[in-house]
Amino acid sequence: MSGETVSPFERNARTVLEESVQRVDARTRSRLNQARHKALEALSPQRPRWRSLTLMPAAGALAAAVLVAFVLWGRGPHGASTPTALDAQHAEVEDMDLLTDKDSIDLMEGWDGFYEWAASQPESNVESNT
Amino acid sequence: MPEFATLASPYSMPAALHGDTDLTDPQEQTQARALNQFLAGVELKAFKIAQAALRHEDDALDAVQDAMLQLARAYAARPAEEWKPLFYRILENRIRDMQRRRTVRGRIMAWLPLRGGDDGDEEFDPLALAASPDPQPVRRLELDEAMGALEQALQRLPRRQQQAFLLRTLEGLDVAQTATAMGCSEGSVKTHYFRAVQALRAQLGELHT
Repeated sequence: MSGETVSPFERNARTVLEESVQRVDARTRSRLNQARHKALEALSPQRPRWRSLTLMPAAGALAAAVLVAFVLWGRGPHGASTPTALDAQHAEVEDMDLLTDKDSIDLMEGWDGFYEWAASQPESNVESNT
Repeated sequence: MPEFATLASPYSMPAALHGDTDLTDPQEQTQARALNQFLAGVELKAFKIAQAALRHEDDALDAVQDAMLQLARAYAARPAEEWKPLFYRILENRIRDMQRRRTVRGRIMAWLPLRGGDDGDEEFDPLALAASPDPQPVRRLELDEAMGALEQALQRLPRRQQQAFLLRTLEGLDVAQTATAMGCSEGSVKTHYFRAVQALRAQLGELHT
């Protein structure tokens, strides 16, 4: 209203209205302040949905590369040359099989008879063989 | 760190201005500062205008908040000189929507028997008792009387006259800006304003303060 003639009534009315604005209570001021915060947060640019879609191929390629690297590392020479706990466990199982195998025990017992048999052979047989 | 330390003070600087949100562009930060300054300057007057129209504090706060959000979302890129009439135009639309909704709700509720009042449900809020800047007691009494009389007289004005009077007198918009805010011609603004002043003067005299 600048530059216009203002009557005393309008001037007084303005004074009264401005005073009533100044007397707005703290609770209302606080809520208006929070409303302003929310409005300003709405200013922050939202990332467009198409931009997230453009990242999909790159993410897929990265995931595939990680998978291939994992598989190759597991099958490589570094993995094969290193005795693992699984290999050691497997060897122990084979030893236990040998010890508990019935045929093997019979064979071991047969070795004692061999020496008795060899001692009972005549000398000639020994010489002729040599 | 205690949990309460992370709570934002209602009077702290908005997130958009201190880097919590993604306003990396300096131009956007400048725009956010300008909008914050604008909204801080109009929020109290806008609240009083909405309160005069809606006669309900919470509805007035909702209307102002919606207008702020709408301005930030849709018109923040416009020149700052256009913000004020645009903001009051949005606020006026919100006020009108609320008044229509209230009318419909009132018609529906009139058919329902034994509806409970909701005035006593509000919880006690100590902030409501906080003291505001206080002038001298006698001056305060005079202002209280004048304020009460003016607010009552404003309530009796037709909506368009009330709007024209408040936008011109309280917010200080010129005729062109008021016309934009009200969505009418400058001639209509002058007519509404003139009739408002005449009606108020008839009721209040010269309104001594």
